[in-house]
Amino acid sequence: MLKHLKRDSNQWSLYTVTISLFIAIPLLAVVIYLFNGPGDMWSHISNHFLWDYISNSIILLFGTGLLSALFGVSAAWIVSNYQFRFRNWIQWLLFLPLAIPSYIVAYAYVGLFGNGGSFIQILNSLGISIQKIEMMNHLGLIWVLSCSLFPYVYASSRAVFLSFPKSIKESAQLLGASHRRYFFSVALPLASPAIIGGLFLVFMEVLNDFGAAKYYGINTFTTGIFRTWTALEDLQSAIYLSALLVLMVFGINAFITWRRRKKSYELKINQSQRNNFNKKTLKGKKRWLYGFILSIPVLFGFVLPVVQLVYWAVLTFAEMFNAELFWIALQSVGVALSAAFFIVITSIVLIYFTKWNHLKGLRFFKKMVTIGYVLPGAIIGIGIIRSSQSVIDFFSDGFGLKIGFLFYGSSFILVYAYIFRFLAVAFNPIEANALKIGKNLGEASQILGVNKFKTLLKVELPLLRNVIISAFVLVFIDVLKELPLTLILKPYNLNTLAVSAYAYADDERVAEAALPALVLIFIIALLMVFLNYAEKTFLKATAKTK
Amino acid sequence: MFKKYILLALVVLTFSCKNDKKTDDVTQEEEIKEQVVNLYTHRHYDTDKMIFANFEKETGIKVNVVKANADELIQKMESEGEQSPADVLITVDAGRLVRAKAKGILQGVNSTTLTTTIPEYLRDADGYWFGLTKRARVIVYDKDKVKPEDLTTYEALTDAKWNKKVLIRSSGNIYNQSLMASIIANDGKEKAKEWAEGMVNNFARTPKGNDRDQVKAILAGEGELAVINTYYLGKLLNSKDALEVDAGKAVDVFFPNQGDRGTHINISGIGVAKYAPNKANAVKFIEYLVSKEVQEVFAKANYEYPVNETAQASELLKSWGDFKEDRLPLSKLGELNKEAVVLFDEVKWQ
Repeated sequence: MLKHLKRDSNQWSLYTVTISLFIAIPLLAVVIYLFNGPGDMWSHISNHFLWDYISNSIILLFGTGLLSALFGVSAAWIVSNYQFRFRNWIQWLLFLPLAIPSYIVAYAYVGLFGNGGSFIQILNSLGISIQKIEMMNHLGLIWVLSCSLFPYVYASSRAVFLSFPKSIKESAQLLGASHRRYFFSVALPLASPAIIGGLFLVFMEVLNDFGAAKYYGINTFTTGIFRTWTALEDLQSAIYLSALLVLMVFGINAFITWRRRKKSYELKINQSQRNNFNKKTLKGKKRWLYGFILSIPVLFGFVLPVVQLVYWAVLTFAEMFNAELFWIALQSVGVALSAAFFIVITSIVLIYFTKWNHLKGLRFFKKMVTIGYVLPGAIIGIGIIRSSQSVIDFFSDGFGLKIGFLFYGSSFILVYAYIFRFLAVAFNPIEANALKIGKNLGEASQILGVNKFKTLLKVELPLLRNVIISAFVLVFIDVLKELPLTLILKPYNLNTLAVSAYAYADDERVAEAALPALVLIFIIALLMVFLNYAEKTFLKATAKTK
Repeated sequence: MFKKYILLALVVLTFSCKNDKKTDDVTQEEEIKEQVVNLYTHRHYDTDKMIFANFEKETGIKVNVVKANADELIQKMESEGEQSPADVLITVDAGRLVRAKAKGILQGVNSTTLTTTIPEYLRDADGYWFGLTKRARVIVYDKDKVKPEDLTTYEALTDAKWNKKVLIRSSGNIYNQSLMASIIANDGKEKAKEWAEGMVNNFARTPKGNDRDQVKAILAGEGELAVINTYYLGKLLNSKDALEVDAGKAVDVFFPNQGDRGTHINISGIGVAKYAPNKANAVKFIEYLVSKEVQEVFAKANYEYPVNETAQASELLKSWGDFKEDRLPLSKLGELNKEAVVLFDEVKWQ
C-alpha cells in the first residue's frame, strides 16, 4: 500500500488533494456534526416521516428522470440531425426553461391551470367547461420539474450528438442500418454517458428543490430538512437527514460510474470530422411529427410559463419597473459571471490534475468536491459560516486582527460558496467529454515534446470547447437562479434578481415577482444569442484555417 | 478566439473584484465616520424600504439591510458570534424572537418610549424584543354559503357541520404553528390534539398553497371556510389581478373566540442583537418604527394592525370592525412552538 503511494503519487496528487480539501471545507464542517449523534427529535421523524420522504423522493426522481430524458434526448436528436425552419432558434429556445427558477414555474402553472387560471379562462371562453387542472400533487410536481429541468439532459446530449464524427454515421449507413436502428443501436449507447450525466444534474435539482415541493404540499427530503431544522428546532437531526440524502446520491453516483465502466466507449473526435455532416432536411409527415415532438418541451417548458409571467408583469409593471431593477440585474450578472469563471477553471484544473496523477484513491476526493450540488443550500450555508467563523476567530485570538468585514462585507465568501455548490454542474459534463477524448492524444503530444500545460491548452481544451462553453452557461444560469446560499451569504446591499423575485413570492405576491423573473430570463436569452453567434464565428474560423 | 474569451473573463473578473474591494473599504470607513444601523430582516415589504429611507433622511443614520428567512438569520447571528455586524433582528412572528432570545443572540433594552408605546403582552418582559405590527389569524367565510351566526370559535371548526369544508395551509407554516401553540396554551395539550384531529377530518382538501390560495379555493367552491391572516385579505382586495380581487370579495372576515379569550394574534417584531456594534442607533431605529407616523404607514400600506394604540388602522381594517384579542403573552407561542409541530405530525396534518 505504502509502496504504491510512493510510486504513484506526484505533485499533481498533492495539488488535487489540497484543492479538493479547500473546496470541501464546508462539507467537513458539517460532517463534524454527525459525530454528535442524531438529535432528540430523530425518533419522531423516523416514525412519522422518513418513509414519506424516501418514497416521495423516489417517485419524483423516477418520474422527472423519465420525462426529462424523453423531452431532452428527443429534442437534442432532432435538433442535431435535421434541418428545418427555425432550427437555429429552437435549439437555443430549448435551453431557456432553465432560466426560470422551478418554484416560479410552479407558481406560473397554478396561475395557468388553477382555479380561474388564465389557460382555464381561455378554455372556458372557447366553450370548454372546466374548472381547473389540479397541479398541486405528485404528477403536477413531476410535470413542473421536468418542464424546467429537461434542458440539462438536452444540453449534454446535444453536445455529444453534435460531436459525433461523420464516420460513425457513414459506417452505420454503409452497413445498412436504418435511421431508427442507427439511433437506438449506435447513437443512444454512445451518448448514454452524457445523457446519464445530464440526468444526474436533473436528479440533484429534484432532490434539492424546496420552493416548488413546499408550495405543492409534498414532503421531500429537502422540505423535511428545513422542517426539522426550523420547526422542530433540531439541527442535529436535520444534518442526519442531509446525510441520508447524500447516501442516496452516492447510490445514484455509484450506479452511474458502474454503467460507465461497463460500457466505456472512446469516441475519437477529430477536428476535421466534427460537426460537419449534412443535416437531413425534414419533409412530409415526419416534419409534422418531429415538429410536434419538439413543440411540447418548448411550449410547456418555456412559452406557457413565460406568457403567464408576462401577464403578471404587465399587471405590476408600473410599480416594479424602475432604475433599481437594472442595478439589481447588473449585480446579478457580475456575481454570476465571476462565479461561473472560477467554477469552470476549478473543474478543468481538478479534472486534469487527477488525470496526470497516478494514484487511484483520488476518486474519493472527486466525489467529495462535487457533493455540494446535492446538499441543501442552507446546510452548506451553515458549514460555510461555521468554517469562516473559525478563520475569523483564529485571526482575532491569535493576532488581534478583526477581519470579519472581509467575510461579511464582500462577495468573496459568496463566490466561494457557489464554487462548492455548483462545481458538479461544470465538472461532470467536462469530465465525461475529457474521458471521451481519451489519453492517446495527450500522450502523443507529450511524446512529441510538448509539456502537459501546453498540451492541455493547445490540444485538449480546444477539443472540449463546446462542452466548456455549455458548462459555463449552465453554471452561470444556476448561480443566477441560486437562492438559499445567496440569501444567507450575500453582503449588505447586494441584491440579485432571484432574491428579489423570491422576496415577493414569499410574501404571496407572485405577480410582483414576475418582472424580476422575466429580466432573469431575458439575460439568459441574451447569453444564448451570444453563444449562437460565437459558435458560428468559431466554425467559420476553423473552416478558414483548414 | 479562445484567448479572447479568457481575456474577456479576466476583464470581468478584475472589475468584479475591484468592486468588492471598494465596498470593503467603504464599510470600513463607514464604521469610523458614518452612522449606520445593520438590519437582519425577514420582512420583504416595499413599504419598509420607504420607511428606512425616511429614517436615513431624518437621522442621518444609514440603514444596511440583509433580507432572509428568520431561521437562517438566527443561525447566521449565532455562528457569527461576537463579530456579528447585526444590530437588530426583525422577524414576522413572535416564536422566532423567543427562540433568538433563548439562543442568547439578543440583548435587553431599556427604553421608556418603547415600554410606554407598546402594550405589555406585545413585547418581551425583559426588553429583548418588541412587537412592531400585529396580524390576526381569522376565519374567512363564503358570503353566499355561510351565515356568520354559525361561526363561533377556532375550536368549533371541528364541528361535524363543517365536514370537508375547512381550508387551511400546511402545518409547516409558522402562522399555523403559532395558532396551535396558542390553543395548547389555552386549552391544554389533550384538547389541542383533539382539535387538530378534528380539523384534519374537516379539511376540504390536503393542505397546499399559501393563505391567498385558500381564499381562491373558496371562490372556486372547494371549501366554505378558510383560516388566514388578515393582511393577506387586504392584499387580495387591493391586488392588480382581477381574480384575486374577486376571491377577496367572495369572503367576509369573522373574528373567532370573541365570547372567550379573543382572536389569536401574532406580531412582526424586532430585537437588538447581543453584540450590536451600533446599539444606540438600533434603539433609535426601533423607537422610530413604533412612532405614530410610521405605524400608520405600516397599517395603510401593508394592512397590518399598529402596535402603537394612538395610530389609526387603515380604513379597510376598520371596516372589519374592532375585535377582542387573545392577550396571551406572545412569548408562550415561542415556548410551545415545537410541541405544536409534534402534535401536527402526530395527527398527520400535512
